[in-house]
Amino acid sequence: MNKKINAFKLFGIFFYIGLFTLGGGYAMIPIMKQKLAAKNKYIGEDDFIEVLAVSQITPGPIAVNMATFIGYKELGILGSIIATLGVVLPSLIIILLLSIYFTGITGNTVMLKFFSGILTGIVAEIVYVTIDITKKIKINFFNLSILILSLVEIFIIKLNPIYVILVGGGLGILFKTKEFKNVSS
Amino acid sequence: MFLLKVYLEFFKIGAFTFGGGQAMIPILQRELVTNLHWITTENFLHFVSIAEITPGPISVNIATFIGYSIHGVLGAIVSTAGVASPSFILILLVATAMKKLQAHPVYRAFMAGIKPVIIALLISTIYIIASRGFHNNILPYIFSIIAFIVLIKFRLNASLLLLIMGAVGIFLL
Repeated sequence: MNKKINAFKLFGIFFYIGLFTLGGGYAMIPIMKQKLAAKNKYIGEDDFIEVLAVSQITPGPIAVNMATFIGYKELGILGSIIATLGVVLPSLIIILLLSIYFTGITGNTVMLKFFSGILTGIVAEIVYVTIDITKKIKINFFNLSILILSLVEIFIIKLNPIYVILVGGGLGILFKTKEFKNVSS
Repeated sequence: MFLLKVYLEFFKIGAFTFGGGQAMIPILQRELVTNLHWITTENFLHFVSIAEITPGPISVNIATFIGYSIHGVLGAIVSTAGVASPSFILILLVATAMKKLQAHPVYRAFMAGIKPVIIALLISTIYIIASRGFHNNILPYIFSIIAFIVLIKFRLNASLLLLIMGAVGIFLL
């Protein structure tokens, strides 16, 4: 059974996630997974992937979507407010400080180098998470076909990620509904 | 009243951008630079370049930047709230609906089809970050590989690794 989280911890985790998200919403997945789905097990692996998928097909910043979603799952409406505030506040504070004190930030190379260094770590972590999630998915014709099709859609056709998700989900409905019907009956 | 206009403008942008921050950039540019003249193209591109390398969701960063530049701290808070509001409302609706759907075979089949797609999207994220953030320089790639090895060998805490790589970046990049 998954553990229940309290409001302060929820805020803390998402503030932390907001602080370390460099390079867009997907960059926060490794830390989010570690904080919520791995060590403490507030949410299960499958739930985590569902949240990720739904956040991608719903409009708005993925980070905000995921925070609202997980906050709601954990602690209802209050949880969604707390998690969203948590993930947004670090950006707000950092950008405000930059706007007020460092108007010529492009010249501030130490900070840029620091962020570039972090980016190399983020790439390593996303590679790690990708391998981790891949290991947990069954290797069969269905999964492999969708993976290859998705890669073609993303890299060659350059389809928007929402459509890539909808195609995968649509194929799932087409070929898997019967299987799940049999399981539940 | 101007603040309400700022809020609504960013609300609209939050509501109509699918697929994360990168997708938001052209829409922001058209609305704020071309249609409303709230900021210049030059400033806009400057903000985008900083928003991409500072922590936090890119779209939230851009909203905060632009909000501040048009109406100070209050403008920044209002624009950030605006860009985050639609997600917040929509996700609440979706999450409530999902609670009821979760056991349905069609829903579970949809989710089964999505799992491999997530792997593809993660692979594309690696590609996007490396190709945009590493500036065709070989050194960051080498650091990434070393970071990856350290990660699997020592099971390092994710954020500790980022701080270490940040420090490495200051001295070596």
